[in-house]
Amino acid sequence: MLFNSYTFIFFFLPVVAAVFWAAGQRSKEMALLWLTAASLLFYAWWRPVNVFLIAPSILVNFALARGLERTRDDRPGLTRLLLVSGIVFNLCFLGYFKYLNFFAGVVNDMFGAGYVLTQLILPLGISFITFQKIAFLVDVAAGRTDRFTIRDYALFVLFFPQLIAGPIVHYREMMPQFRVASCRFDATDTSVGIALFSFGLAKKLLLADPLSTIVQPIYAQSAAGLPQSMTDAWIAALGFTLQIYFDFSGYTDMALGIARMFGIKLPMNFNSPLKATSIIDFWLRWHVSLTRFLTAYIYNPISLALTRRRMAQGKPVFGGKNTTASAFLILLVMPTVLTMLVSGIWHGAGYTYIAWGLMHGLLLCVNHLWRLLRPRFWPHAASYQRWFRLPAFLLTFGAVVFAMVLFRSTTIGGAFLLWKGMVGAFGITVPAAVFARLGDAAAWLAALGIVPAWTSGSLFLEAVLRIAVLLFIALALPNTLEILGRYEPALGYRPPKNPAWLQQRLAWQPNSAWAVGLAGISLAGLLSLGQLSEFLYWQF
Amino acid sequence: MPGPVRFLRLWAISVVVLGALVVVVNLVVDPYLVFGTPRLPGISALKPNARDHSMLSKTYAVARARPVTVLFGSSPTYLGFSAQDPAWPASMKPVFNYGIPGGYATSASLDTMREAIALGGVKNAIVFLDFQNFFIAEGPRTWWTENERRYRTQRDGTANPYRPLQVTADMTLSLLTMRALVDSADTVLRQFGRDTLNLADDGSTTESDFSNAARADGMHDLFAQKESFEIERVRRGLSRVRNWTGPLPNQDIVLDMIRLAKAHDVRLTLVILPHHAQALELYWRAGLWPRVEQLKAELADLVAREGSGVVLWDFLDFSSYNAEPVPSPGDRKTQTQWFWEPTHFKQTLGHIIIARITGAATPDFGAILTPANVAERNALVRAQQRVFACTSGYKPPAGFSGTVGDDCGTPAKQPS
Repeated sequence: MLFNSYTFIFFFLPVVAAVFWAAGQRSKEMALLWLTAASLLFYAWWRPVNVFLIAPSILVNFALARGLERTRDDRPGLTRLLLVSGIVFNLCFLGYFKYLNFFAGVVNDMFGAGYVLTQLILPLGISFITFQKIAFLVDVAAGRTDRFTIRDYALFVLFFPQLIAGPIVHYREMMPQFRVASCRFDATDTSVGIALFSFGLAKKLLLADPLSTIVQPIYAQSAAGLPQSMTDAWIAALGFTLQIYFDFSGYTDMALGIARMFGIKLPMNFNSPLKATSIIDFWLRWHVSLTRFLTAYIYNPISLALTRRRMAQGKPVFGGKNTTASAFLILLVMPTVLTMLVSGIWHGAGYTYIAWGLMHGLLLCVNHLWRLLRPRFWPHAASYQRWFRLPAFLLTFGAVVFAMVLFRSTTIGGAFLLWKGMVGAFGITVPAAVFARLGDAAAWLAALGIVPAWTSGSLFLEAVLRIAVLLFIALALPNTLEILGRYEPALGYRPPKNPAWLQQRLAWQPNSAWAVGLAGISLAGLLSLGQLSEFLYWQF
Repeated sequence: MPGPVRFLRLWAISVVVLGALVVVVNLVVDPYLVFGTPRLPGISALKPNARDHSMLSKTYAVARARPVTVLFGSSPTYLGFSAQDPAWPASMKPVFNYGIPGGYATSASLDTMREAIALGGVKNAIVFLDFQNFFIAEGPRTWWTENERRYRTQRDGTANPYRPLQVTADMTLSLLTMRALVDSADTVLRQFGRDTLNLADDGSTTESDFSNAARADGMHDLFAQKESFEIERVRRGLSRVRNWTGPLPNQDIVLDMIRLAKAHDVRLTLVILPHHAQALELYWRAGLWPRVEQLKAELADLVAREGSGVVLWDFLDFSSYNAEPVPSPGDRKTQTQWFWEPTHFKQTLGHIIIARITGAATPDFGAILTPANVAERNALVRAQQRVFACTSGYKPPAGFSGTVGDDCGTPAKQPS
């Protein structure tokens, strides 16, 4: 069941919320039980067999967590064994369903083996759920959780607003909320929830989806080996970057909004990543909960282990002006690239995702290197910030757009072809109809090597205009979290202390103007429900 | 400042009120001709946005029009024939243009023909055939697109069980969608535009898209743009069409049309549509002309064998109409008389064709094809082609130097 479907909006969500609030009047336990059952129904709706795949996995993880809870204080060896078993179990579960065919394909490609690829059912949201379960086991082993029941654990894993595509939540940030939630109708929470949901729905249906008709044909042509002119290649690259931005941002807003209607605040997952002024900054804004997971459970342990080893060997470690090349390579480059490789593989079973992860890993390393070296070239941090803010933004934005080509392409070859187009290897064209209307400017363009092509002028203008408007929205307007900042739209989110003028003007509050304005936004989203389209991140 | 409860109440009321307003606007403007709301001058007299929803619009419009004669075909039919053309004899009126742009053209024509006949009252069916649609097998279509689920009957003639649901969806989507609202607003705004496109209640459309483009860019650019598309199409299909063995595909669909017409006592006329000589020359130079001749011969045989009372007209030739000169590059003023671009002709030529097939024109364009005259007709067209190749000054694109004679003193040859 999609969040942007008639069934969800007009049937599932109202019924689940109404029964939850009504049950909460009598018994909180009953309300939470209902929410767990409804979440299971939500998961089963898409493909009922999913429940039979996920339920045993939940039970095994619960049993392992119970074991960890009992052994963690006095039997560290057994705790470690249980934890490793749990992680291996979850990774095997994910690997079997998501990566078996891919790895069989890789072996076939490399060694000419004849492994037959089988059609496996990919349980919905398996990547998100697996990470969440692993994080839970690690937290239990580390003693970062308190007592839990099977219902607590099932609700934590299955809570439907974040079940399919995140945010990836921690037990310690969810269960305390469920414990103190009133489970009754709360007008403020519901208002904030509806506002978040409406913004998300509008982002998805009005901003993201129309871009697919612009982007899809160009990527399809590239995949088929047809070269693209520089203009078309950039339209495709920028178009997809904006499409996935508004798609994922819209989804996250909707997830946050739905959870809020039940009195639960999900963690921040998205904070205007396209405004980032470095790749490090980008990953602190894009899919924040994934970055948090990867940092806490992959990067930090690797980095820490390597640092300890080097320290034991008496070798220099990373940090400060005296960082050596070997320390940088071993303690930063290696864990970063490895972590981003995992990120790439996590996003999808394909060469393009792996390449995308590696590319971001390398970009992060370059960013870290520049952080180390920059003080030598420009010692004054404040003036550096002032002068390099715009170039840093442009460089970051360009790198993100460039890398995003890999994310959308179905083959590495297709991505390379589009990149070649982006750097002008196949010339620069403008539709002849547009060229003819440029008057004297056409001669200037011709002198620059820009030539007319027999492509649709109206489609070209629509694409350019749409991309320009969406760039303005993404880069110049406050985001949903900032607009709703006063009401803590995401767990722990605090608005900036000195908000910009526009942010102050657009700040949401439950007044008449926002009621009517939000009704317009809600209705625009509801009226766009005619064509169902999946969220791009649901495939992960 | 109202509290959150008042906020929620006001929000809910606003959603309902604004939603009701959207319904009223879409119903009054009726941008897709679904409801048949009376056209209001300055508000909804012209229907420019029905163009992109022609299957939806025309399927509802044809039921209201109750035509005696219905025209079927793809985009050239949609654009090139007016149901109000003065050449239509009174006995054939009212006429409805059920031409639908888009793919699966031949089987789509059969589906629309079945729908029109299911309405009752149709006496004449004129199906316009595009020769290019016989070079790609459409295959047996067992599936239905969303657009086809609204038809009254299924392909086997039984009542369509999907129709009630689809009609409900059509009504809902025409009243309560953002797309409909945007198109309603656009419809109102474009009432005051110059040469606004309009889909009439009889299925005819104005030629505004092309005339506006021709005014802005000139006829040469329209021809050049479409020619580049046609070059790609011929290149893509070259080996498939050249190496085709046996009868050309999709003739079974024509046979179904003949049987459907016979079963319902409808007089069927089949018309092979004209193309501009530039488009035909591409096929000639690519060595594909024998396939065009094969198509004409096979259709003539099919009609003679299966279609007593069915007439097959052929307008696909290099006659002076189809060989109309194209203005030079940079000439944005000179207008053509018969064609917008290589594959779409103007309603002026549509008028000539209507007059010809209804017996009101002199026989200088097109001919009725029969097995007896098809060879003679093919020979005539070959002679016309030679004249065009030698006198028009048309320069073929790269890779299409083809099998034309080295000089025009030598007869052009095509592989057999």
